[in-house]
Amino acid sequence: MAVDGTGPVVVRASQPDRGARMAGLVSQARAGNEDALGQIVTELSPLLWQVARSAGLDSRDAEDVLQTVWLRLVAHLNRIHDSAALVGWLVTTTRREAWRVRATIRKQPPADHQLLDELADQRPGSEELVIAGDQRRALWQAIGQLSWRCQDLLRIIAFAPRPDYAAVAAALGMPVGSIGPTRGRCLAKLRALLADPAESPA
Amino acid sequence: MTPPGASRLPSPDEPLDDVDFGLLGGIREMFEAADPMPADLPERIRFTLALRDLEIEVARISAENDLAVAARSTEQSRTVTFDSDSLTIMIRIDANRDGTVRVDGWLAPPQRRDVEVKTSTDSLSAPSDEQGRFAFARIPRGTAQFIVRPAGRGPGEAGRSVLTPALIL
Repeated sequence: MAVDGTGPVVVRASQPDRGARMAGLVSQARAGNEDALGQIVTELSPLLWQVARSAGLDSRDAEDVLQTVWLRLVAHLNRIHDSAALVGWLVTTTRREAWRVRATIRKQPPADHQLLDELADQRPGSEELVIAGDQRRALWQAIGQLSWRCQDLLRIIAFAPRPDYAAVAAALGMPVGSIGPTRGRCLAKLRALLADPAESPA
Repeated sequence: MTPPGASRLPSPDEPLDDVDFGLLGGIREMFEAADPMPADLPERIRFTLALRDLEIEVARISAENDLAVAARSTEQSRTVTFDSDSLTIMIRIDANRDGTVRVDGWLAPPQRRDVEVKTSTDSLSAPSDEQGRFAFARIPRGTAQFIVRPAGRGPGEAGRSVLTPALIL
């Protein structure tokens, strides 16, 4: 059973509008507009949170990393002129900083991959969730069968604003097709698992 | 081409389609439920950015403890230690009866500095003595951030400002 499009209607994001808006915010932020900078922070922090957490940091370290990355962005703003460069720089810098912190501060095993097991135990029926319980369980189970790398990549990509998928994919080292991001190995595998749960794990 | 009836496996090389976007939406919902970013984090980051100063060193929290204050269960006390490259800042936070908090702090290595605490409504400052001690008798509860600046007029001893992450007092 595949998850179909019965959730929110998938509307093509108006790429040029968002790109122009983000580029505008960047140039205002560069000129010292705190509110423009704040809007960028609000919009992109949820993505960076997942980047830091998927690198295996606990909540407090993830918060510190985000604070550091945003402070560093300010010093770097004059070299960033569009939305793709902004998102790519933020994701790359967050990942590197998260890895650095993990290496120097903690000596614990990599990412907390028990999370998915805990999720699988959650009661079905949280009304806020858009996809139905059965579909959600199937999705959890399928994701749990993917490699850790795929789980982390999909987790991060899922938080990227859609027009920024290509930039985020590139920052994560995934191949990007000439007309935009391709499905990639991880999503293809996930779909195969959902179509046939007996499929061997990635 | 795929024979009729066979389920066609999606290729990794195709562009993302609506099924992929639906799956990514489901994954996002899973992680939003399981590991949400703290809702106030963007606001705290904006707070830090508003104070930025390119000469600044950012400290990180290296230890935090709630102290059980013996026999006085209504009083809460907490210590927080911040580390930066040049400085360790330790603070002890005690609740005042009037709803504010008292903060006693120590700098290591010990040195005279100007210590400032910024809250969402206020900014207070106090010098540290040569043992590195400083104190704020009353700070309103809420988000606060400490900035340790070079001491006012000491010759030589330039030193960078050190900024702590925002914390909730």
